[in-house]
Amino acid sequence: MISFADLLLAFVFLSVLVSLASNRLMELVKIMAFQGVIVSIIPLALAHGSGIKAEGWEFLTATLLIKGLIMPMALYIAVKKVANRREVEPYVSYNASIFIGLLITMAASLISHRLSPSMPAADTLLLPAGLTTVGAGFFLMMTRHKAITQVIGYLMLENGIYLLGTAMARKTHFQHILEFGVLLDLLAGVMIMGIILYHINRTFDDVDTGILRSLKD
Amino acid sequence: MTQAIILLTIAVISAPLLSMIIVKVKAWFCGRRGPAWLQNYSTLTKLVQKTPVYSNSTTFIFRLSPVITMAGILTALCLLPIAGRPPLLSFAGDVILLFYLLGLGRFFIISAAMDTASPFEGMGAAREALFGTLAEATVFVVLIFFERLQGGASLASYLGIHTNAGLWGNAGAAAIMIIIALFMVLLTENARVPVDDPTTHLELTMIHEVMVLDHSGPELALIEAGSWLKLFFYSAFIADILCPLRGRPLDFPLFALTVISIYILIGFIESISARYKLNMVPKFILISFALALFALIFSMGASL
Repeated sequence: MISFADLLLAFVFLSVLVSLASNRLMELVKIMAFQGVIVSIIPLALAHGSGIKAEGWEFLTATLLIKGLIMPMALYIAVKKVANRREVEPYVSYNASIFIGLLITMAASLISHRLSPSMPAADTLLLPAGLTTVGAGFFLMMTRHKAITQVIGYLMLENGIYLLGTAMARKTHFQHILEFGVLLDLLAGVMIMGIILYHINRTFDDVDTGILRSLKD
Repeated sequence: MTQAIILLTIAVISAPLLSMIIVKVKAWFCGRRGPAWLQNYSTLTKLVQKTPVYSNSTTFIFRLSPVITMAGILTALCLLPIAGRPPLLSFAGDVILLFYLLGLGRFFIISAAMDTASPFEGMGAAREALFGTLAEATVFVVLIFFERLQGGASLASYLGIHTNAGLWGNAGAAAIMIIIALFMVLLTENARVPVDDPTTHLELTMIHEVMVLDHSGPELALIEAGSWLKLFFYSAFIADILCPLRGRPLDFPLFALTVISIYILIGFIESISARYKLNMVPKFILISFALALFALIFSMGASL
């Protein structure tokens, strides 16, 4: 029978796919908020309501707040204030991105079959979902022009790491010290991104990183 | 047998009423009352009483196509298990026949549109051909997925009518992706909002509606009824996957409720979203294809 965690993971895949295909920054931010919420409640679904301690709930609430609310809000404000052209502007076309997303998934599910014996009774979808999210995050970072989209790719990468961490620590779902550290770094990163973007925008009237690259003086 | 015939009759009769749900939901969103519930039947009666008008440039293909389209969709409905009951006809390989019948209907509508020699209709035909072809890729990946999980090559065995085992038990989360992919195909094939706007009145942006501009009278009635039946076909297909209760006392009301919720969902989506730019539509269909392929990959992974 279908488990609640698998249901959530199916939606993670859906969000990865849609984020590869989306052509608007706002849409991308909304997808990231959705993905953040889903990813942060997955440990809850895996725990089946038992064995969640008080600090577990604290971690869960903090993750949900940061991933689902604060970081999307920061991105939302950044897009509203900074980006005057709200298209994603990819180096690789959307259709090709979807195709590469498929390849990443295929590779992820192949690799996770090799890996799963070394993992404690892995859920069938958790590991491929984590690997796919990491891969797609990398891909988003590589192939999109704007600084905001690169931060969003980084966020997605972090979501993937979080999923992988959950897969590794089956018995101790709520000892996400490592992920929590990454999360805080990322939160600081998003804040800094907001400030830097603002300055790039004031200097160059655009946030395309291609402009920065051609700056040789 | 009689049961299947009764269900089929109910389906054919209620299809216009069901598609009224979409109109009503949209009207409710705008704060209007919308047309009467039986409006579609009145439209059909009015159209049937009219004399068809033919343009001088058309040939027999133009007159033939509505009939063939209607016949195709009716035969397809005979092959569909409604409410989890065995269908009227079922044999190995009927899934292929079924989607080819729908494809045949589309082919003849496109041919009729080209036959009128109207530049707008040719444009609509080209779009319909492109989007239809892309959507077919998704459909066939879905079929391969069913084949792997359920075996057999008939729709009844795919949906687990005889074995009493629905898709959920075997596929798990992959079934969600399949259902979403099929829903996207539903929106594409029936020219609903993110792909095409059925209420638009500008030939340049229309897809399905522009192809039937020249049809009139009873033939237009056939085409309209055919499109309602096609929408019912896809909704019932998805509903069959969604509620796999077989042979329980409440399965028919539950099935009806699922179909109605699918129609309400379509109306909801139409109310809150705008249609895509035309060059974005292939992307939308490709997402459904990728989702179906995801599901297929996972179903293979699970059985390794």
